[in-house]
Amino acid sequence: MSDLEFFLIDFVQVLATGLLVGGTYALMCVGLGMIFGVMRVINFAQGDFLMLGMYAAFYLMTGWGVLAFLGPYVGPVVAGIFAGPVVFVIGWLLHRYLVRRVTGMAALGAEAEGHYAQIILTLGIALVLQNGGLILFGSIPLAVRTPMSGQSWEVWEVLLNQARTVNFFVAIAVAGVLYLFLSRTRLGKSMRAAADNPEAALYMGIDVEKCHRIAFALGCGITAIAGGLIASSQSFQPYIGFQFVIVMYAGVVLGGLGSILGAFWGGMTIGMVQQLSTLFLPFQLQNTAVFVVFLLIIFLRPQGLFGRVTDRT
Amino acid sequence: MLARRSIKRELLAIAVMAAVYLLLLYAIRSTYYQQILTLVMVWATMSLAWNMLSGYGGQISFGHASFFGLGAYTVVLLNVDWGLTPWFGIPIGVVVGVIAAVIIGIPTFRLRGHYFALSMLAYPLAMLYVFEWLGYQEVPLPMERENPALYMQFSDKRIYGILALGLTVVAMLASLKVERSRFGLSLLAIKQNEAAAEAAGIPTWRWKMLAIMQSGGFAAAAGGLYAVILLVVTPATVFDVLVSAQALIFCLFGGVGTLWGPLIGAAILLPLAEILHGELGHIIPGIQGVVYGSAIIIIILAAPEGIFWRVRDRFFAKPGAAPAVAEPPPAAVVSAGEASAALPARQPRPGGRPLLVLENVSRAFGGLRAVDEVSLTVAEGTIHGIIGPNGAGKTTLFNVINGFLAPNGGRIEFEGRSLLGLKPNRICRAGIGRTFQIVRAFPRMTVLQNVIVGAFVAAAADGEAERLALEAIDRVGLGRQEAQQIASGLTMRQLRLLELARALASRPKLLLLDETLAGLGHAELEDVLTAIREIGDGGTTVLIIEHTMHAMVRIADRFSVLDHGRLIADGVPEGVVRDRAVIEAYLGKRWMDRVADQIS
Amino acid sequence: MLQIKSLEVAYGGLKALDGISLEVGDGQFVAVVGPNGAGKTTLFRSISGVVRPVGGEIIYDGQDLSALPPHARPHLGIAHVPEGRQVFPSLSVRENLEMGAFTEAAQARWRETLTTILELFPVLGERENQLAGTLSGGEQQMLAIGRGLASAPRLLMLDEPSMGLAPTVADLIFERIEQIHRDHGVTILLVEQRVAEALESCDLGYVLETGRVVLSGTHDALMADQRVKRAYLGL
Repeated sequence: MSDLEFFLIDFVQVLATGLLVGGTYALMCVGLGMIFGVMRVINFAQGDFLMLGMYAAFYLMTGWGVLAFLGPYVGPVVAGIFAGPVVFVIGWLLHRYLVRRVTGMAALGAEAEGHYAQIILTLGIALVLQNGGLILFGSIPLAVRTPMSGQSWEVWEVLLNQARTVNFFVAIAVAGVLYLFLSRTRLGKSMRAAADNPEAALYMGIDVEKCHRIAFALGCGITAIAGGLIASSQSFQPYIGFQFVIVMYAGVVLGGLGSILGAFWGGMTIGMVQQLSTLFLPFQLQNTAVFVVFLLIIFLRPQGLFGRVTDRT
Repeated sequence: MLARRSIKRELLAIAVMAAVYLLLLYAIRSTYYQQILTLVMVWATMSLAWNMLSGYGGQISFGHASFFGLGAYTVVLLNVDWGLTPWFGIPIGVVVGVIAAVIIGIPTFRLRGHYFALSMLAYPLAMLYVFEWLGYQEVPLPMERENPALYMQFSDKRIYGILALGLTVVAMLASLKVERSRFGLSLLAIKQNEAAAEAAGIPTWRWKMLAIMQSGGFAAAAGGLYAVILLVVTPATVFDVLVSAQALIFCLFGGVGTLWGPLIGAAILLPLAEILHGELGHIIPGIQGVVYGSAIIIIILAAPEGIFWRVRDRFFAKPGAAPAVAEPPPAAVVSAGEASAALPARQPRPGGRPLLVLENVSRAFGGLRAVDEVSLTVAEGTIHGIIGPNGAGKTTLFNVINGFLAPNGGRIEFEGRSLLGLKPNRICRAGIGRTFQIVRAFPRMTVLQNVIVGAFVAAAADGEAERLALEAIDRVGLGRQEAQQIASGLTMRQLRLLELARALASRPKLLLLDETLAGLGHAELEDVLTAIREIGDGGTTVLIIEHTMHAMVRIADRFSVLDHGRLIADGVPEGVVRDRAVIEAYLGKRWMDRVADQIS
Repeated sequence: MLQIKSLEVAYGGLKALDGISLEVGDGQFVAVVGPNGAGKTTLFRSISGVVRPVGGEIIYDGQDLSALPPHARPHLGIAHVPEGRQVFPSLSVRENLEMGAFTEAAQARWRETLTTILELFPVLGERENQLAGTLSGGEQQMLAIGRGLASAPRLLMLDEPSMGLAPTVADLIFERIEQIHRDHGVTILLVEQRVAEALESCDLGYVLETGRVVLSGTHDALMADQRVKRAYLGL
């Protein structure tokens, strides 16, 4: 085979991997996009909810073996999905007791530093979660064992890692369910309304604070599912969260802050960018490539692909 | 400018602090605790550096680790690869920090709010990966056997403490200088209301760049010293988010935007975390992070201003002891409160040459034409009114004249020179002052400080700025005692007069007043009207937007009427007020039909 | 139905409403006019609970509203059509209206209400699936009013519905508001800048200035009063 053919195969391989990876990235970005879209809060702790999802999946499947009866093929996937509700509850409590005090109506009276109170609070939460995680879980890298993580399906000279492929489809499915929730149910629509215009939503009788709480908890839970799924294709330790924060924000900003659909496509694209960059750059720099893309988007087209431009003087 | 205590007292306090520190340093035997003390000072410098940009300037940075890490690596790499001693390495590191600040600042300051915060976060993380990839996972400083002191290597670890103290003192002096100069007051103005600062003539971009450069330099110095103390540098220890977070936490804890806050925060939290880590680190790894994280959460919920302010307000609150301000000579006092309730009708002035000329100015938002081919001329020495119903485009017009918005078409000329493309602060320098429809005072500054900010444009020296400010305050009819009040507690009348004074302090030739009378009761209205009239009589040209006519007819020489972005009438008050198109715009067609006979 | 007694609202140190009293009786059309900064929007926001008064009372159907959080008040039958339309731009016209019918009571009568709304504003039916953010100003105003109606309210509060609209469109909007009052018996509380339109169809009018009621009276009394004209034109 010629050099060109080799390159093409590499290219398609990388594209395929990028797509598969992009699926789970899309899901985690959707989680973040929900929080930002509905509450306009920059959540530094999002990566740590991802991490919590990974550990939840681990304990459900391997650590405490609650779901081990489902077998090594189905178990990890279900564990990944169940990580969602576990972290949903954590997110709910965090909002109820902490986050709510610096967002929404509470923030209106705050001084100049008040805008940043939200961001700083989530930074504090992130530090506590990361280091709390270190204390609770230890620093030894873990992973959810499944025979699929080491095997691949071969389709026309392209290798598709089995675990990643399954994760891809599950991630799309979860995103799809969320989409249906937001577009078809009354609660979902009221959350979108609260995101668009909180004051007008109050005039409709919508409990905006409750919408925020649900959005926050849901956002954490969905990102956690992504984490739970990834847990079967790579190893993780409590500090892994921060690596993913910029990746998630890159995806959300690319898609447009405020658009959940945008977050989905943004995440997908970032996954592709990350894998494609390995064609030209050493793999240690793949995240740097993501950062560069992130910075480029912010400077050249801050509203992203689907975003809304607000803010006036 | 932001003076609370005199400079002498602050310097004395710093000297005392230094003395106490040295005492502690030499009293303590254990090298472990000596190092903690040293690190307190290193982190105090880093926090002071952060404070320079984010505390005073309000541009909250989550990425100061960039400068810290660059400083550290500069020192180490110069030493390892080029044999250059840290005595030179650290200053070079400072230069590197400043250059990095410029490179980072130029693009990043164009971003607002969330985007700014996220970008700043990304830079150190990117650098972390790059340095790891470059192979600098762990770079130790080589031991110098022959002349260790020449390479900043001392067997007596206390020397590092002294060096760190020195750096901190320099940083504090720099902060003090900032606080007491127009730089500090300008940064505070930018922090509290950037748009108002721009309109008042503050070159916001320039000051922000200066702030980040100073901040970056000191952060790099802290990083360089840190490297020398620890003797080894890894990307994670210097570029990690915890580095940026620590600077932020210490300032937050101690008091953001204050001189002593960063030091207080570092002095309390760092030993706490280090000792906890030392004692319990092997049982409970990550205890440091949990402590810092919890500290942030508690502070931000309970005392976002920081411990410094809480303590000060609780224990040291003195009723605003205003520094003795001399009363102005009686002749200069404009006692607006005594103005007669009904001002005699003003003789409309014909006006001199055209001062401001607008020709076919348009501005649209999406499909909405907010300003539609508006042409008007403001003659020098007149009070020219712009009226029209809500949504007519009046404020948009001002934003276009003032430089906040670019027009989609048309010419704008002031004294014959085009204003297009100029930033608001340049337009202010050219001689145009502005007030806003919703008062944009700097809420946590006194009235006097607010007005001084406006005076910077016209005064080269800070002392002169204060003089001009006092003059402006007198002119509008605010009392000297009122001038010492904090802006957030003022009545509407006082706020309106404050904005008027601030705009006046820049000695403008043209004043743009946007609905200055809105929200005022009858008596208050008279005060402000009188002030405006006096200003006009004093030779300043005034272009004033108002919504209700009954006040305007008494002071305006000429009116232009806008409706739906278009000019529908222009002329002397008597004529305009009777113009059918104008009445229809205000009261509606039905009114016209109903009372048509009464008009003619 | 609605009684406001000596209401006082302050933003920081600033008194936005300084002892306002007014009444809206069942089935009446009450207009509130006044210049910018008079406190009209603040009045509505207090009734809706978004702003907390520092003094006075708001009584609706004999019940003091001060204990109720803002999102509970629409369930009593109070609909607030805010200043500047404030539609939900990323939701469709249909979804906006659905949001209007968020309360249980409204849901029960949804079919019927929707028919009424589409009769009044047929263009909303034509643009049912269009995103609300893409509608013209006039269409958005119609949508906002439709959304207010969707809650099957007993009290409909409208804040400057004519603002920023072309005169012919504004006229149409007023006609519809009158129709809503006449044909469907909804109690109306209207805040307007355009005095004639507001006073034209009202039963009672109030003139606000800097947080105080300076003039009030029946429709006829106000229309004849020279002071109203003078307040706006300085004649």
